[in-house]
Amino acid sequence: MSSIIIIAITAIVVLYLGLYKVKSALLPVSVLGLLGAAASLVCVWDKNISYFNDMLVFNNYAIAFSILLIATTILIFLLSGNYFEKISSNVAEYYTILLFALSGGVVMVSFQNMSMLFIGIEILSVSMYIMAGIKKTDSASNEAALKYFLMGSFATGILLFGIALIYGATGSFNLVQIAGKASEQPLLFYAGVIFMLIAMTFKVGVAPFHFWTPDVYQGAPTLVSSFMSTVVKTAGFAAFLRLFGSAFTSVPAIWTVTLVVMVVLTLLIGNITAAFQQNVKRMLAYSSISHAGYMLIAILLLGQASPNAILIYSVAYSIASVASFGVMVAVKEQKGSDDLSAFNGLGRTNPVLAFVMTVALCSLGGIPLTAGFFGKFYIFGVAIAANYTWLIAIAVLMAAVGIYYYFKVIIAMYLRESENSESIQLSLAYKFVLIFCIMITILLGIAPALITNIL
Amino acid sequence: MLLLEQLPVNYAPVAFQFFVAVGFVVVTMLATHLIGPKRKTSDKLTPFESGVEVQGNARHPMSVKYFLVAILFVLFDVEVIFMYPWAVNFRELGILGMLEMFTFMIFLLLGFIYIIKKGALNWE
Repeated sequence: MSSIIIIAITAIVVLYLGLYKVKSALLPVSVLGLLGAAASLVCVWDKNISYFNDMLVFNNYAIAFSILLIATTILIFLLSGNYFEKISSNVAEYYTILLFALSGGVVMVSFQNMSMLFIGIEILSVSMYIMAGIKKTDSASNEAALKYFLMGSFATGILLFGIALIYGATGSFNLVQIAGKASEQPLLFYAGVIFMLIAMTFKVGVAPFHFWTPDVYQGAPTLVSSFMSTVVKTAGFAAFLRLFGSAFTSVPAIWTVTLVVMVVLTLLIGNITAAFQQNVKRMLAYSSISHAGYMLIAILLLGQASPNAILIYSVAYSIASVASFGVMVAVKEQKGSDDLSAFNGLGRTNPVLAFVMTVALCSLGGIPLTAGFFGKFYIFGVAIAANYTWLIAIAVLMAAVGIYYYFKVIIAMYLRESENSESIQLSLAYKFVLIFCIMITILLGIAPALITNIL
Repeated sequence: MLLLEQLPVNYAPVAFQFFVAVGFVVVTMLATHLIGPKRKTSDKLTPFESGVEVQGNARHPMSVKYFLVAILFVLFDVEVIFMYPWAVNFRELGILGMLEMFTFMIFLLLGFIYIIKKGALNWE
């Protein structure tokens, strides 16, 4: 709880710093605030504190995911350097809105009450609608914001229908009480579960509700897309698992069939469409859809290992995404484009950037010795334990397709010639973030036991 | 659940009222059309503006500043809704409730100062 307060107050302080033109203090204050929020979370580890009549419960699950969200945000902030200043003069508002979005994310991973879930999702979504359209004069950005807003509000409406039906069936918003009364009004309850399933899958961008993802990711500023594909997605999945894992476990048969179709569709559409993309940013957008498919497997087959599997996958995926988006921002700044051809010859002109990109893409593809491998390993472990071998076969096949399109970028970087051979100058913070990301990726690829047993 | 156990027959008054409401509209419209006198003049086809002669087009472009002020007004107006329950339950909520409402109002005030400083309310 104190972490949410710290984040919200930091956001307002940053807003006022921007108002009084203290531009140089924006980044340090934001990062300090975030570090304070993370520290306050570490202090309550294992304490299981609940607030406001069990509306928010900070168990270890919530704390672990909150710290992941905060850490990812810090990395993205450090990457931002002078990125936002180039887009517009309202730099403080960027930090503020992202911080507000993060506070919504923390509410989403720690809710115990449907109303808090709704509030959390709304805080996060409304902030992201603004961030998607923050390049006011860019028509792609405007299109992204409008699409995201219209579709997102529909999904929110459907979420509310679902909550209302479930309240009608059980008479409670509390997850524990809902689980206890699930069988009293089966028809209302099942309809509510399906409504909520649709809304949650929309928010995390799962096929067939994925249509907004590529356009929004491509239209938004790249660092905002990286925030969407890491923080928003992690918070969405953590909320999804918390909701279904604690409230709807007694009626799994009703939603597993729906969800298994979604998983297969997501894996197929995400990976196969990504393989045809010539624009790296759009390719990463489709690959983020496919990663949602892998994470959905752990929710589909709820078990003891599910929270851990989702956590490991989100850590690996977030860190690798931040690194790959970071490299993309640097390349785009120099070459003016984020097409595949902009990466040609990067291995010769900028060996460090190319190496970071290679490790990040290997991790996203799930190559051993990177964190992404263990992410997929634990997800597949959940599926094996539930005897879903055929699903694993499809997932592994699609992971192979994933490796194909990730390696297209690596081949462009190392085997193609570039037109100009200028190297890209990076700031110290930028280098630190990229190196830190691949260090964590490789460290978790060698010693996954560091985080496998914390939940 | 008490509400869900209601029988369909209990909704009969609602259905009855529904039919009366629809029936009234249909009957009055039909009756005026059939028995009322008909005088067709060109004045009847012009838009009615409180008896004043119509000037120009209603679809004028309006200054975007108007929308900004209107939206901000709605924002702060809606916040007042949260004051009513507090005012009604002031005694029961006690000191804690007051502190919570003050926190809420401080956040609103900070937003208001931000709006003024940003110049969102400057008309020129």
